[in-house]
Amino acid sequence: MKPLLVDQVHKQYGDKKAVNGISFQVEEGEIYGLLGANGAGKTTTMRMVLGLIYPDEGKILYNGKPYTKEQLRMLGYLPEERGLYPRVKVSDQLIYLAQLRGMSKHDADANLKQWLDRFEVPEYYGKRIEELSKGNQQKIQFIASVIHRPRIVILDEAFSGLDPVNVELLKSTVKDLRNSGTSMLFSTHRMEHVEELCRNITILHRSNPVLQGSIREIKKRYPREKVILRTEDEVTGLEGISGVTGVKKHEYGYEVGIVNEAAAANILRHTLEQTIVNKFEIMEPTLNEIFIKAVGGDLHE
Amino acid sequence: MNSFWTVAGFTMKNKFKGKSFLITTLIFVVILSIGANLPYIISLFDKSSGKATSIGYAIDARAVEGTKIAEQLRETYASQEKPAIKLIEFPDAGSTEQNEKALREAVADKSIKGYLVFSSVNESGLPDLTYKSEKELSDKTRQSLEQGIQVVKTEMVLKDSGLTEEQKTMLLSPVVINALQITADGASTGKTEAQKGVDIGFVTFLLMLLFFGIMISGQMIASEITAEKSSRVMEIIVTSVSPLKQMFGKIFGIFVVGLTQILAYVVVVIININLPHNNSAFQQYDIDLSKVDPTLLVYGLLFYVLGFLVYACLFAAVGSIVSRTEDLGQAVMPITLLSLAGFYITTFSISTPDTMLVKVTSFIPFFSPFVMLLRVGLTSPPIWQVLVSIAILVVSIYAAGWLSAKIYRTGVLLYGKRPSWKELRKAMRAYKV
Repeated sequence: MKPLLVDQVHKQYGDKKAVNGISFQVEEGEIYGLLGANGAGKTTTMRMVLGLIYPDEGKILYNGKPYTKEQLRMLGYLPEERGLYPRVKVSDQLIYLAQLRGMSKHDADANLKQWLDRFEVPEYYGKRIEELSKGNQQKIQFIASVIHRPRIVILDEAFSGLDPVNVELLKSTVKDLRNSGTSMLFSTHRMEHVEELCRNITILHRSNPVLQGSIREIKKRYPREKVILRTEDEVTGLEGISGVTGVKKHEYGYEVGIVNEAAAANILRHTLEQTIVNKFEIMEPTLNEIFIKAVGGDLHE
Repeated sequence: MNSFWTVAGFTMKNKFKGKSFLITTLIFVVILSIGANLPYIISLFDKSSGKATSIGYAIDARAVEGTKIAEQLRETYASQEKPAIKLIEFPDAGSTEQNEKALREAVADKSIKGYLVFSSVNESGLPDLTYKSEKELSDKTRQSLEQGIQVVKTEMVLKDSGLTEEQKTMLLSPVVINALQITADGASTGKTEAQKGVDIGFVTFLLMLLFFGIMISGQMIASEITAEKSSRVMEIIVTSVSPLKQMFGKIFGIFVVGLTQILAYVVVVIININLPHNNSAFQQYDIDLSKVDPTLLVYGLLFYVLGFLVYACLFAAVGSIVSRTEDLGQAVMPITLLSLAGFYITTFSISTPDTMLVKVTSFIPFFSPFVMLLRVGLTSPPIWQVLVSIAILVVSIYAAGWLSAKIYRTGVLLYGKRPSWKELRKAMRAYKV
């Protein structure tokens, strides 16, 4: 029984197709990546999972059951547009939000204190949101989405607007939640976060799912087309080697485009004749590149 | 049901804790306290202005007749219980010019307001009177002078008629008309003028409470919802609780807040009215608050609840489709005008509460809370009309609630520019609400 199953879901707004037949499933303790450019249909998909709007076609099952009001209680949501009551105390509003999702006041209070301790900000308990810095507001927002111990959490752009220290803090929290069996639907523009956290992804483009599967398999489908080269001295004549498609010179060395992996050996040989090699790596395509390939080609039409 | 109370409780808690709530309540308490003490305050000023106006005249040996009448006039005023005018006698200075000079000096040093000059007696048997003063002769003083002279004249004429004192009193006493308002079927034994005055005052007070209560709490509802939307906390709320429960929880919460506020005002007014110094002040103006009809209070409360609900639904719907607080004022304008219209119908009809306009509008949902309260308070409408009006109102509340819930459900998810009706309808279809 999958915690979350989305099956051939369509959604139409007037004459505009918002989501065109998306299907995926999220296992227990899995973070599922939902990627796409702005307006690709991510938010609509998430809103349908949240039961805010109903799909025109297809179905969404939670632990094998269709949507009911009771399902809301096991869902947690971190919206892309952050927002809490600016003038209400942290404790008041988080307990309120937890109560709305069916938690008792006492439990919510205890849970909130635990979370604040975990983020090392217990003094925020009695503060108003407007008194906190943006990064700290984000932490409170995150607590708001998980305070009621949801089984499925929907994180829309979870780490946007955070400094690197806080990104690491939230990332490790998300991993802990995953390890404790929470299923998560995760959307972001930061591909390195997806590579680090997600096992499976769907890339949406203009309402259509264009690429789907586990990150490892997706990457295998894309050939290795890049060599990173760092040397003691300058290297000349790289462009002349057969199989090389282009050379970019960076501060750290060279980025060489290749047709296939065989060409890489030629590059190494050529370079060694001239100087000492500090680094030589045949790069597998980054998710970023895959994303741009899947989506970007179309962006210029 | 549970989250309904959670929403209502949270709304109330935040309102009661908020500074703005405390401040507005206090401001109204101060205004009401001043209002309730107004008769007393006016009476304080009245005492000084109620003092008799001093007017001088000179004894003039060259105009014996005029001096005699002036003397009589002075005695007439002196014998009155609360005379408006006090005549002050100045000794004869020898000539008319000298007399006037002395009087002018008295006017200059403010010991008198003005003075009277009596000419020789004309054919009517009375001297011509001239009032001289720096300031214009006030209507009140003129009236008092005329009355005084009339009395003197009557007495002069009647002196030799042989009438007894009783007959004179009968002749002089004014005719009094007592107006009594009754119902044709005899259900009401009649309302006196004083009772009617109290009724009008009380109904005005109730209508003001009703209007401001509904407007202020309605605005509160709309701005709360818009604030939730613009701060985006709405995204979390709508994924936690059904929009319907949220909307009605909020309406109920604000209702309790508004009712508390109104109760506080009523208590303040009652306390103020019962302050010892106010008793005599009210009596002086013939205001007897024990004459207030208690059933009117019940109707007032009933129409407050119904009026609040029907307007609250509209305010909630408007609040839900506006994304930014800045746009809210403009968006609620039609509702404000609607309620203003209802309120003004009552204000203009308070002295004629039986016109066709009043009768018709007392059945129109958004006007009826005001207008029917006016009718119940000042006329005696048939009970079936009151019931029909309430029934129409209840049905309208249901309809407004249903429509608002639909708009709300859609509106809270729509961001950006305020949607037009068409866009809203389209979105409703898309969201399947």
